Amino acid sequence: MNTLEIEDLRLTLPGTARPVLDGVTLAVGAGETVALVGESGSGKTLTSRAALGFLPRGAEVEGAVRVAGQDLLAMGARELRGVRALTVSMVFQDPRTALNPLRRIGDFLTESLRTNLRWSARRAGDRARELLDAVGLDERVLRQYPHELSGGMLQRVTIAAALMSDPALLLADEPTTALDVSTQAEIVALLADLRARFGTALLFVTHDLHLAAAISDRVCVMYAGRIVEAGPAGALFGTPRHPYTAALLASTPQVDQPRRRLDAISGQPPDLRTALAGCPFADRCRHATDLCRAEAPVSTAVDGGTVACHHHTRLTLEGITHHG
Amino acid sequence: MAESVLAVSGLRKTYGAAPAVDDVSFTLARGGSLGIVGESGSGKTTTARIIVGLERADAGTVTVGGHERSGRPVGRAARLRWAREVQMVFQDPFLSLDPRISVGDALAETLRLHFPGTDHGARTGELLDQVGLGGRAVTALPHELSGGQRQRVTIARALAVRPAVLVLDEAVAALDVSVQAQILNLLGDLRAELGVGYVFITHDLGVVRTVADDVVVMRQGRIVEAGPTDRVLAAPEHPYTRLLLESVPRPGRDPRRIAGARRALG
Amino acid sequence: MTTTVHRRPGFGRVRTRRPWLYLTCLFFTALAFGVAVAAPWLPLADPNLADLGAALAGPSGEHPLGADEAGRDVLSRLVLGSTTALFGPLAVVCFSTVLGVAVGVAAGWRGGWLDSVLSRGSELLLAFPGLLLAILFVALYGDGLLAPVLALSLAYLPYVSRLARSLTLVERERPYLAAYRVQGFSGLAICLRHLVPNIAPVVLAQCTLNFGYALLDLAALSYLGMGVAPGTPDWGVMVNTGQSAVLQGQPLSAVIPCAAIVATVVAVNVVGEHWADLVARRQR
Repeated sequence: MNTLEIEDLRLTLPGTARPVLDGVTLAVGAGETVALVGESGSGKTLTSRAALGFLPRGAEVEGAVRVAGQDLLAMGARELRGVRALTVSMVFQDPRTALNPLRRIGDFLTESLRTNLRWSARRAGDRARELLDAVGLDERVLRQYPHELSGGMLQRVTIAAALMSDPALLLADEPTTALDVSTQAEIVALLADLRARFGTALLFVTHDLHLAAAISDRVCVMYAGRIVEAGPAGALFGTPRHPYTAALLASTPQVDQPRRRLDAISGQPPDLRTALAGCPFADRCRHATDLCRAEAPVSTAVDGGTVACHHHTRLTLEGITHHG
Repeated sequence: MAESVLAVSGLRKTYGAAPAVDDVSFTLARGGSLGIVGESGSGKTTTARIIVGLERADAGTVTVGGHERSGRPVGRAARLRWAREVQMVFQDPFLSLDPRISVGDALAETLRLHFPGTDHGARTGELLDQVGLGGRAVTALPHELSGGQRQRVTIARALAVRPAVLVLDEAVAALDVSVQAQILNLLGDLRAELGVGYVFITHDLGVVRTVADDVVVMRQGRIVEAGPTDRVLAAPEHPYTRLLLESVPRPGRDPRRIAGARRALG
Repeated sequence: MTTTVHRRPGFGRVRTRRPWLYLTCLFFTALAFGVAVAAPWLPLADPNLADLGAALAGPSGEHPLGADEAGRDVLSRLVLGSTTALFGPLAVVCFSTVLGVAVGVAAGWRGGWLDSVLSRGSELLLAFPGLLLAILFVALYGDGLLAPVLALSLAYLPYVSRLARSLTLVERERPYLAAYRVQGFSGLAICLRHLVPNIAPVVLAQCTLNFGYALLDLAALSYLGMGVAPGTPDWGVMVNTGQSAVLQGQPLSAVIPCAAIVATVVAVNVVGEHWADLVARRQR
């Protein structure tokens, strides 16, 4: 059984012409890391929030979101709170805004266990020390305030806090975007480490394809509320099957590629006010045909992953091979 | 070596006890493009703000086109001259436009200030055209535009005064990858067309690779390495530059080694 | 955003979620000001004609809201009194807002010694209770509405200037203002054309709240016999003359101006609260 299973999730917001999430299907197994990659407005954050049972107000929902076999969409508020306290945890983008500046780190770490599980202060404190050690921080941190720590240290604290209840699933929404590149590497290494040690399933949400490839076993690429391509990280880069994936790779500035003019994707992602008849990427795609504009492609299984493109068998797209 | 349009020499700025910028010197060739790379707290943004005149340096000089900018511009003529020397594009396109002012009015305002008595309508159209926005954008308010479109507007507004140097402070960092590539290409085209010099402040080495002829690597307020981009990225001499390069995410990198290298640097 | 509109305790609890309440209050406020403007031309009985035969009369065809102790028509005194009762506070709000915004924006924008001088200065004003200041001015400059209006304008200035200053401090960090500086615009032009219009909605919301307080304060002053010139009908004066009527068991002539004061203050505050909420929602 997978730790997280999202099946054909469709989410419609009032006053929009098309669903914000349109048939999203993805699974994260125990101890596995899956990256969800997309640009702003692609629905990646909504998808990750759905795994916590958070849905936008007034949204119409179809499909299923199962965590450890239980369907979150069928749960009441009380059960959902239980899931959030115990089974699913989240690491946010900016650790500075995720912590109450007036509380000590120790309080922040133990609060959830003490209020939700009625753990004693001593027991919760021991657990906090154990996890601070796991994320590479000294236990002195317990008595410090958020402003006394650097951004990287704070993100370690929020990761420790997320792991306090020994969750089955960890959601990380752009956890390194607010950090410096070299600190980013440390946090990524830490997450990989902890996942191996605690067997936690990790859903890593990011806009950065390269970061996604560096951290995850599998990558799902989202565009306009749909998963357009999913597969093992290496394959996705070497031989992308969806034109959007290939275009994203080509438009990312690279350090280790010869200097060149970037292959920018023209135009903008479709906004929610326009209904989509065919493939959401058709207007920006250089391979698009009449079929693409008329009919939405269905997700097809290809070796090791899925792709939603009418022409995936016909196209040979250029990927990226890394030197060194 | 080409004649330099911008020369920064011995810049120093201290907030409290620690220097934010410490003995920073570099030059920018006319029509050239210089990347300043560093992490947060490296002093790159403070350097940028000193160059445009939003902060005053404690010591050191900034010279643009042979004219030394010292103190604060006093009087209208001095303010306008400073503005035509250096313009700036800010990181967040959502905060760098007055939310109440339409695109056309924002450009007209600047044109009225700098070129009174000329035909602003034609020039506004020309500027929007240059940055790839259609004429329909003239009446749009900022909130009706996407992030990429807004950044095009701020670029147009900066170019409206025909500056010699354009300072871009993380100008593409807040944009999505596909839009970021459009803006980077646009900036490349504009430089070729107008001969304006760029100072590109960024944390992203990929961006530096794409836009900068030369690069300056800053750390803790000081320049640790400087040189042609090709050379610095291909054969970095300073361990910190090497660390930055290794930190760039790519499949198969070893984050643990990076963490070790970072600790070794202290 | 760390700034909030300053509210005296109590008014903040008037919840304005219900649109009918807001619309009713908006209508009432508009009506009150309409009547105040049109008062001199309305076909009303002479407000100062004392008809001792009708003293303390109840409502009748001749006196729709009754007559006061001296037999003067309550309705016509109420309507004509609304002119001073509403335009006095309006003048206070206008003066205090214009001056307060100027002081606050200058202090926040320039900072440094100017900020220190202006901020300490307005704190000094804040230390004086508004009414005391007004009584002092009346004692110095004599009767008439001008002295108390000026005094209250000064007393209310710090509330506006402190709000404007903190809004300016937040706003000036926004890159769009820095962009105008880099473009070569003068500080004055940036403040007038860009900063003030962008902080105006919040300041205006504060103004409507100030209006209610000023109305209360001015009514209290004229109740005490200071403020409007003798003989001018005013709501505060009416409450004062109505006092003895209450003792005589005929409270109507005192209750009506009280009700008018309370209704206007509540209506204006509900409208102000609603505007403040709209602004807060837009900024989210």
